Amino acid sequence: MGREAILKSVKENKPTLIPLPMLDLNNFKEDINLLEEFKEKVKLVGGSLKELSSSETLENEIKKLYPNAKEIVDCSNQSTSLATVTISEGTNPKDLQNIDLAIIKGEFGVSENGSVWISENTFPIRVLPFITNDLVIILEKEKLCLHMHDAFSLISERERTFGVFISGPSKTADIEQCLVVGAQGAMSLSVFLF
Amino acid sequence: MTHADKAAEFNKNEAKVNWHDKALWYVREKRDKSAHGVIGWEHIRDVASGIKANVLSNLDNYLIEFEKNALNNGIKVHWASDAKEHNEIVSKILADNNAKKVVKSKSMLTEECHLNPHLEAQDIEVVDTDLGEFIVQIAKETPSHIVLPAIHKTKEEVDDLFQEHIGTKPSEGNPEYLTNEARKHLRNKFLNADAAITGVNFAIAETGGIVVCTNEGNADMGSHLAKVHIASMGIEKIIPKEEHLGIFLRLLARSATGQPITTYSSLFNKPAEGKEMHIVIVDNGRTEQLSREDFRASLHCIRCGACMNTCPIYRRSGGHSYDATIPGPIGSILSPGKDLTKHSSLPFASTLCGSCSNVCPVKINIHEQLYKWRQVIVKDVKQPIVKKSILKVAGGVLANRKLYNFSGRMARFMLKYAPRFIVYSKLNAWGKARDLPEVKGQNFDQWYKVKRKNNG
Amino acid sequence: MKVGLFIPCYVNQLYPQVAIATLELLEKLNVDVYYPSTQTCCGQPLGNSGYEDDSKGACQLFVENFKEYDYIVGPSGSCIYHVKKHFDILEQTPDVIRVRNNAYELCEFITKILRKTNLGAKFPHKVGLHKSCHGLRGLHLGSCSERMDAHFSTEENLLNAVEGLELMSLNRKDECCGFGGTFSVFEEAISVKMGRDRVQDHLDSDVEVITGADHSCLMHLEGLINRENKPLKVMHIAEILNKSI
Repeated sequence: MGREAILKSVKENKPTLIPLPMLDLNNFKEDINLLEEFKEKVKLVGGSLKELSSSETLENEIKKLYPNAKEIVDCSNQSTSLATVTISEGTNPKDLQNIDLAIIKGEFGVSENGSVWISENTFPIRVLPFITNDLVIILEKEKLCLHMHDAFSLISERERTFGVFISGPSKTADIEQCLVVGAQGAMSLSVFLF
Repeated sequence: MTHADKAAEFNKNEAKVNWHDKALWYVREKRDKSAHGVIGWEHIRDVASGIKANVLSNLDNYLIEFEKNALNNGIKVHWASDAKEHNEIVSKILADNNAKKVVKSKSMLTEECHLNPHLEAQDIEVVDTDLGEFIVQIAKETPSHIVLPAIHKTKEEVDDLFQEHIGTKPSEGNPEYLTNEARKHLRNKFLNADAAITGVNFAIAETGGIVVCTNEGNADMGSHLAKVHIASMGIEKIIPKEEHLGIFLRLLARSATGQPITTYSSLFNKPAEGKEMHIVIVDNGRTEQLSREDFRASLHCIRCGACMNTCPIYRRSGGHSYDATIPGPIGSILSPGKDLTKHSSLPFASTLCGSCSNVCPVKINIHEQLYKWRQVIVKDVKQPIVKKSILKVAGGVLANRKLYNFSGRMARFMLKYAPRFIVYSKLNAWGKARDLPEVKGQNFDQWYKVKRKNNG
Repeated sequence: MKVGLFIPCYVNQLYPQVAIATLELLEKLNVDVYYPSTQTCCGQPLGNSGYEDDSKGACQLFVENFKEYDYIVGPSGSCIYHVKKHFDILEQTPDVIRVRNNAYELCEFITKILRKTNLGAKFPHKVGLHKSCHGLRGLHLGSCSERMDAHFSTEENLLNAVEGLELMSLNRKDECCGFGGTFSVFEEAISVKMGRDRVQDHLDSDVEVITGADHSCLMHLEGLINRENKPLKVMHIAEILNKSI
C-alpha cells in the first residue's frame, strides 16, 4: 500500500528541519468590551442575540421568538418546559428530521467572530444543531473570550469527541453572490445571554 | 487551447467579464475590511507561513503522529499514493458497507482525483451537497473557483438548471427560492445517504483529529447522518498542534470571503457510537512538489481562494480559462508540477503584479514561483520557434551595444515610417486595440550627445 | 556622490522626454549625474519571458556600465526591481552586489537618499497616480492595499508637494494595468481589458493627467487612450516633478 512509499518519499524530499515558530499572544491584546464585541459579531454573521433582563424568563423569550415551533428538543438544562421531544444517545439521527427548534447550551462565545463553542457533551446527537430548523444557544454572558487563540486554550483539556464553533445560521452565496440565510443547516440562530 | 485563447473567448462577452470582475473584487474588498479588523494580521500571516514551512520539513513524522492518534481514537486511516489508489480505497470502503448512495461536501482533492466519475461507473449515486458544487455537478461542469464553484453561472442559468433537474418553477433566478428548493432536495439526499465524503481543512498531528469548515452545514449534515464518514486529505493538510487552529481559523474565512469565521468549524476527533470514520491520506504528486525547492511552498496553501479574488487576470478570464482543477494564481504554480506540457501556458497568464502573494494568508510567494516556472517551461516544453528565436536574438542584441544601437534605430524608423496597415496588421497583437507610441525626432542617446558633455 | 543615470531601453528609444526630465531633475537637485553611453537594458523582457539564461549578457553589461557609481538611478520601478531581484542569476561578485544594492528608482532616490519631497514644481492639474506593481509590491515604494500596514506612498508624497496639483482618489488604488511586458501581446485580450478598466477608473475619478513612476505601464495606457480618444493625458512623474522647478 501507499503508506511506506509516501513516508519514504516525504523523508527523501523534505527540506532540513525548520523550527516551529512561536506565536506571541501579546501582539493580539485588545482593550475591548468582550460583550459588546460579541453582540456586534453575532449580528454581523446573521444571528440574533437577546440579553435576558432580570424580569424576563428564558422560556417566555424563546416562545415569543419561535411561537410556531412544535417539535422542540431542549438540551440546555435550564429547566424550561419547552421540550416536546426527548432524545438520547440511542436516538436515530434521522428521526430528528422534523425538529423545529433545538435549544443547546453553549460552553463559551468568541468575541472576535461571534461564534459559540458547543460540544458533544451538551447534546447527545451530533446532527442536532444542524438538522433542526431553528437553533437557540444559551450562553452565560461571563463566558466570553477575545479570540480563537484563547478559545483553543479553553478547550485544550476537553475530552475530544466532536465539537463545533457555530457562527450564525447556515448560509450560502453560491447563486450570483447573493447571500441567502438558510442553506443545509439551521435556518436561524439565536443566542440568549443570561 | 492556451489560457490566452480561452481568456479571449471569455472576453467576447464584456458585460459578463465586468460582472465577474466586480463580484470577485467585492469579495476581495470584504476580505480587506475583515483583515483590517484584526490586530496583528501580518504577524499571524508570518506565523502561519512559518508553521507550514515547519510542517513540510517534518512532514513524515507529523503524518506518523497523526495516524497513531487517529487510530487510537477509533478512526481508520488509509494511504493513497495517487488518485487511482485513492478512488479504489473509497470504493472499497463503500463496498464493505454496501453503500450505494453517497453525499459529498466540498473537497478539491476528490475533484483532483476525479472521484465522482469513478464512483458513478460503479453505479454509486454521488451528490455534491455544497450548493455551488451541486450547481456545477448538475450542469456537468467543473468548479471555476475553489470557494465559489459556480461564480461563472448567472442566476438565470441556475434557474434553468434547477427546473430541468429538480423540478423547480420558473423564478427569474430568485436566489432565496432556488436555495430553498435545493435545501429540500438535498435534505432528502442527506437522510437517505449510506455514506458521506468530506474534505479536510486541517488535520492535527497532536490529536489525530480533523477540522472541516463550511458555511452551509452540508459536511455536518452528511457526516452525522450517514453511517460511514470518509474524509480525504492531501498530506500537506497536517498542522502540528491543535492550538495552531487559532491561527489558521482566524485567517481562513477572512481571506476567503471576509467572514470572521465560517459558520461551522467542526472538530472531528472520534466517530460517533455505532459509526465508522475513515481518513484517506493522499500524495498524488505532492511529494514530488515537495522535492522542488523553488516550488515546495505552494504546498502551504489552505485553499482560501483569496489569490483568485485579487488576481486581475482571473477576475477577467474566469476560472475555466485555466483548464485545471485549481484555477487562478495558486493553480498556476501547482498545475505545472503535475503536467508541465498541458499547463505550460498558465505561469504566463500573469503580469507578475504580486497581489496574490500579498493576500495569501500563508504567504506563498506565488508571483515569484510563476517567474521561476517560466524559466523551467522554456527549457522543458517545446516553444513556438518565432517566440524563441526573437527572444534569443534579443538576448544577443541587449548584450551588445552596437547591435542595440542599430536595432533601436531600426525599430524607431519602422514605427515612424512604416505604413499604418503594416504596423497595425493582424500579426501585431499590440496594435489591435492600442496605438503605438509616437516617435519623436531623436532618441535620448542622440539628445544627450548634443546637449551634455560629461558622457560617462 | 556620483550617480549613474540608467535609462530603460524603450524610454531611450521612444520616450526621450522622460529621460530628459529625469536628467534635468537630478541636475537641478545638484546631483553629479553621468550617463554611461554603452548601456542597453536590464534584461527584464527576457527574464519575464522565461529566457533568464539568455539575459545574462545584458545583466553583466549593466553591471559593467554602472559598477563605478555610488548610486544607479532610473525612472522605472520595474527595471530597478529586476536589477535588485533577478540579478541573482549572475555570480555574486562585489560589483554585482554593489550594483544591486545601489540601484534606486527615481522617486525613492529623491525621497530616501536626497531626503527631499518638495522640489518646487508647479503643475495645476487634476492628477491620477498609477502605482506600478513592481515599484509598489516589488520595491515597496508605498503601502499595498492587500497588506494591513500603515499607509504611505513615495510618489504621493512627491506629488502632494507640487504646487497646484490635485491628486485624485481612485476606486481601485493599486490594481495592475495589464501591461506585464510580453503579457501585453501574448494575453492581448486580458491585457487590453485590464488597461481599459484602469483608464476608466481614472476617468471616473475626474483625472486630467495620469502619471506614474513606470513608463511601460503608461505606454500601455496611453496606447488605449489614444486609440479610443479619451480625454486623458499621460506623463511620467519625472516630467511633472520637473515642471517649472
